[in-house]
Amino acid sequence: MTPARLASPEALSQLRAQLTRRRREGEKIVSVCAGTGCLACGCEDVLTTLRAEIAKAGLEDEVEIKVTGCPGPCEWGPLMTIYPEKIFYVKVAPRDVDLIVDKTLKHGEIVERLVYKDPVTGQRYAHEDKIPFFTKQMRLLIGNNNLIDPTSIHDYIALGGYQALAKALTQMEPEGIIAEIKKSGLRGRGGGGYPTGRKWASCRNTEGDPKYVICNADEGDPGAFMDRSLLEGNPHSVIEGMIIGACAIGSHDGFVYVRNEYPLAEKNLGIAVAAAREYGLLGKNILGSGFDFDIRISRGGGAFVCGESTALMASLEGRVGEPRAKYVHTVEAGLWDKPSNLNNVETWANVPLIIERGADWYAKIGTEKSKGTKVFALTGKVNNTGLVEVPMGIPLREILYDIGGGVRGGKRFKAVQTGGPSGGTLTVSDGNGSGNGDAVSHLDLPVDFDELSRVGSMMGSGGMIVMDEDACMVDVARYFLNFLQEESCGKCVPCREGIRLMLEILNRITRGEGRVEDIDLLEQMSQVIIDTSLCQLGGSAPNPVLSTLRYFRDEYLAHIEDHRCPAGVCSDLVSHAITEACNGCHLCVQSCPSTAITGSPKELHAIKQIECIQCGACYQVCKNGAVKRVKRGEGEAVQSRARVAWQPREKAQPAVTA
Amino acid sequence: MGRVTITIDGHPIEVEEGSFVLTATRQLGIDIPTLCHFPYMQPYAACRLCVVEARDGKGWSKIVTACNYPAWEGLIIRTDSDRVLDGRRLNLEMLMSRCARLPVLEELAAQLGIDKPRWGYGEDTCVLCGLCVRVCDEIVGAHAICFTNRGIFREVSTPFNLDSDSCILCGACAMVCPTGHIQMEEVVRPEIGHPDLQLGPNAAISVPTRQAVPNVPRINPDYCIHFKTGGCGICSSVCEKDAINYEDEDAFDEIEVGSVVLATGFKGFDARRIAPYGYGRYPNVYTSLEIEQMINASSPTGGQIVLRDGFVPKSIGIIHCVGSRDEHTNRYCSRVCCMYSLKLAHLVKERTGGEVFNFYIDMRTPGKGYEEFYDKLLKEGVHFIRGRAAEVTEWAMTPEEEGRLVIRAEDTLIGTVRRIPVDMVILSVGLEPQADAEEVGRLFNISCSKEGWFLERHPKLAPVSTFTDGIFLAGACQGPKDIPDSVAQGGAAAAEALVLADRGYVELEPITAYIDEDTCSGCKTCVAMCPFSAISFKVETGKSETNEALCKGCGTCVAACPSGAAQQHLFTDEEIYEEIEGVLTYV
Repeated sequence: MTPARLASPEALSQLRAQLTRRRREGEKIVSVCAGTGCLACGCEDVLTTLRAEIAKAGLEDEVEIKVTGCPGPCEWGPLMTIYPEKIFYVKVAPRDVDLIVDKTLKHGEIVERLVYKDPVTGQRYAHEDKIPFFTKQMRLLIGNNNLIDPTSIHDYIALGGYQALAKALTQMEPEGIIAEIKKSGLRGRGGGGYPTGRKWASCRNTEGDPKYVICNADEGDPGAFMDRSLLEGNPHSVIEGMIIGACAIGSHDGFVYVRNEYPLAEKNLGIAVAAAREYGLLGKNILGSGFDFDIRISRGGGAFVCGESTALMASLEGRVGEPRAKYVHTVEAGLWDKPSNLNNVETWANVPLIIERGADWYAKIGTEKSKGTKVFALTGKVNNTGLVEVPMGIPLREILYDIGGGVRGGKRFKAVQTGGPSGGTLTVSDGNGSGNGDAVSHLDLPVDFDELSRVGSMMGSGGMIVMDEDACMVDVARYFLNFLQEESCGKCVPCREGIRLMLEILNRITRGEGRVEDIDLLEQMSQVIIDTSLCQLGGSAPNPVLSTLRYFRDEYLAHIEDHRCPAGVCSDLVSHAITEACNGCHLCVQSCPSTAITGSPKELHAIKQIECIQCGACYQVCKNGAVKRVKRGEGEAVQSRARVAWQPREKAQPAVTA
Repeated sequence: MGRVTITIDGHPIEVEEGSFVLTATRQLGIDIPTLCHFPYMQPYAACRLCVVEARDGKGWSKIVTACNYPAWEGLIIRTDSDRVLDGRRLNLEMLMSRCARLPVLEELAAQLGIDKPRWGYGEDTCVLCGLCVRVCDEIVGAHAICFTNRGIFREVSTPFNLDSDSCILCGACAMVCPTGHIQMEEVVRPEIGHPDLQLGPNAAISVPTRQAVPNVPRINPDYCIHFKTGGCGICSSVCEKDAINYEDEDAFDEIEVGSVVLATGFKGFDARRIAPYGYGRYPNVYTSLEIEQMINASSPTGGQIVLRDGFVPKSIGIIHCVGSRDEHTNRYCSRVCCMYSLKLAHLVKERTGGEVFNFYIDMRTPGKGYEEFYDKLLKEGVHFIRGRAAEVTEWAMTPEEEGRLVIRAEDTLIGTVRRIPVDMVILSVGLEPQADAEEVGRLFNISCSKEGWFLERHPKLAPVSTFTDGIFLAGACQGPKDIPDSVAQGGAAAAEALVLADRGYVELEPITAYIDEDTCSGCKTCVAMCPFSAISFKVETGKSETNEALCKGCGTCVAACPSGAAQQHLFTDEEIYEEIEGVLTYV
């Protein structure tokens, strides 16, 4: 179809009707995820093979191949979904493709081997809409990702895309749009949770011309990739949201600030913007409404701090990405000192939904003060990792168990870190004794903005890192502070020097050189850094320390007073020792990088304490649980006892957990 | 924006809405420490030492930085709550832990009651306040330095750590740096030089000379940052009278006057011309004018007499008659050197307590109180050696002379050649006519003596007048003179000029030349011949014309005119012939 400018909402509807008419009933579509995760898993080879095999089978006319964005579970990639049956294959390799073509496409049979298997129950689920990981979610935003080819505006329009824009432009006044957003209760998804409608209203009411709308796609939290998958998989939803927002605010210039590490997101977004322009959805006189708006894409330089709004604007202006004080809000004086409205990718993507389906519908989802859904990047020691979209207020337990499938490897949950590096750590003891006082557990905490803040964490942009009993909370705090130290811009003293010095103290503690007064000092410093930092990077930097101190203080005390790391992570405080559970399998010897393990096969092995570098490789490989982490200096004693207790075995016993 | 009332530590104060809290606290005299604040730059809020607590009186409170927090109606500021002081102290302590012991931080630490940082001292001498970067960026506009790297690796540097062509060597960064982390590398040694009578590096704004008329500062475009980059402009923001005008340019004004007093002064003798004295070769050989500058309380040395290396000299030699009474340079006596040398000898002895040696030919002290002053110096213990100094040398012959300057001179009173080792040599340079005296003389139609001093009409009867009417002489342009004589002659010249002005007309001699228009052929011979520039050629008529006010009646034109058009009153041909005939009648 030749691209034609859509001169009116009617033209858009006609195009949509035309596109849906072309869809034959029961047409077979193979959708292959080509998000960054699946690309890394080799989906391009799968696609090439798939095209070749389909051609070989002569099915080109019957089967359409769709290269889509990310549906969420990146760990299972490359992912393939076959419509209309919604057969869902995971970890597809090029060698599996002929089988899929032969069995599934030609004969409608399911290849059991490629079907998702629940790691807990072992049950296999062949269809996408049966998999608990998906069914327990509420996929308003990312649900379309594997239905849409992000490079095709037609796919988006066919699914009802830009209808919200048409409605906003023709049937609503700017004030009406803002009222609708206000009524929906939408809050900024970037982390702060500021009511979006209120922000828009103040930007609209500020005198000034031009006004700018900005999309913050500088998603820098480690392990978080919600925004990336939206931009890669469904860029038009973000563009549509931005146009509606611009119309409400009275802006004609938009910017998307994409972080440097997201080349595919930038590419897909660029294609989408170009297509939208071609169809008259961006540029002059959008849909014949007389409203002008265009979007420019700007790529970041690789600094975490540029996710902060004022630093982002400085970077957009071409200056060094450093924050400034926000005593004058950016909605009054932002980009080039003009009124600027900045929202996160996910916030923008929510806008078309609200406009199309109405604020009342949207406000029904979620809790009293946190409406709608939130996409989390669930990572760490859960069985199912990936993007999960859930309604606000869902108990943490449901995310971890029902969607996440519980903890990996039969271990026990210990903590969940939310909100990225400046978020906090929640304790999620499941009552079986996580090594922490079981008095507090946030398993049943409703996950929304206010509840998370209340317990000392934050929503952040939606990172959710699950940790099991093997995690040392002092080490976790140290990891995040180290990240923040590297990413601090260095402008203001509390952030630059404070994080460095707090990290120095944590390093001291993990080396076993902590002092009793260190905890007080950490708390005192945290308060000052929060109080006096220039921007929120510094203002929230002590959160990892404060929240771990709040819920895992005994671990700090163990490090400081007993010189012991309960989780056995801090290498200066642990010794590795082999107990009598050893069956002489010799795996540990092979894995030891410093050849510190002695022992012949089928004999009791031992670690030469003086040569051990505490890397933990033996601990990871031992299938019998024979390698133990003990307090520093006690390794030899444990091994001596083992030598007395050890009995040679007739034959290697199957894995027994100690 | 209107006026709002805010309350700081219980004191209400009315300020401009949106103005920064720090300004108000300073108005109230409340001291808030800052490191990164500078009044003429945008607030930066990086040091976080100026934190204060902002409240609205309804329970809301927040820690903000005073340097950039805008005032709003009803704002309540606490500058000394525990929360504020805790923040201030810890921030300073953390900053100290990054830096070496810096006076600026130690001082603040003493104020805030910090002994030393709990983490120990660091090594850096930069506090990353950003003043240098911002002054270069916002005020100078050269954009030559910036922050590089981020976080704990942040530092001030030039782009890519290379010497930057953008740097205009203005030194503003070094000036604002509170810790001395930025130093100017001494590319050019600040010399004490005679031109402009300035010591050390020149400021971009200065009064040209101390006695300049009018005594107002001027901007030197060669040094001014505004003229280099278009930035800065601090002078215009501090000048309450709006007197700074960057557009003003040098201009020539034509002023019509009835008389002119020439007071072009003298030129100091260039001591380099007498090579044996070593001026320009030995750093510690100075001219009397340089010492005169150094001795001034507003000099870079603060009036101290010091050697180039900053030490106070223990012995000083003063050589008289440098460029005076000398066959090789000027034969005349410069008249003032004896007395000013005595004055310098007195002052130098007073300030340094060292031994002072005068090398003189004759001591000439005519004048009121001069001889008495000489006597006083003799009693003070200043040494006088009668004999022209032969040379100043570094060549030591005895251990005592090692590393010092040796003045070799014949002491004619005891009849021997002496070598006097000294630390400093002062050359009492003589007075010379200005280099362009001849040129100026031609301009005003007056003549110069063989040395180049302007000639007066009569040495006894008309000492301030010249051969050109209305041109008078004052001061040393006429010949070496000291200040009282110059002042007296200036007064006389002014009086002479006033006589003309007061009378309102000029009396002319009747014997002037005129051109008969009917016979003038317009050959212009007379125009070139006239020594007083009294004849001009009129293009409209094609004839020459005399200016009778300028004409001295010398008759040159009359003799030269080929057509006989130039005639002189009382001396026309007819009159001469008649006179001759009259005389012959009685023969």
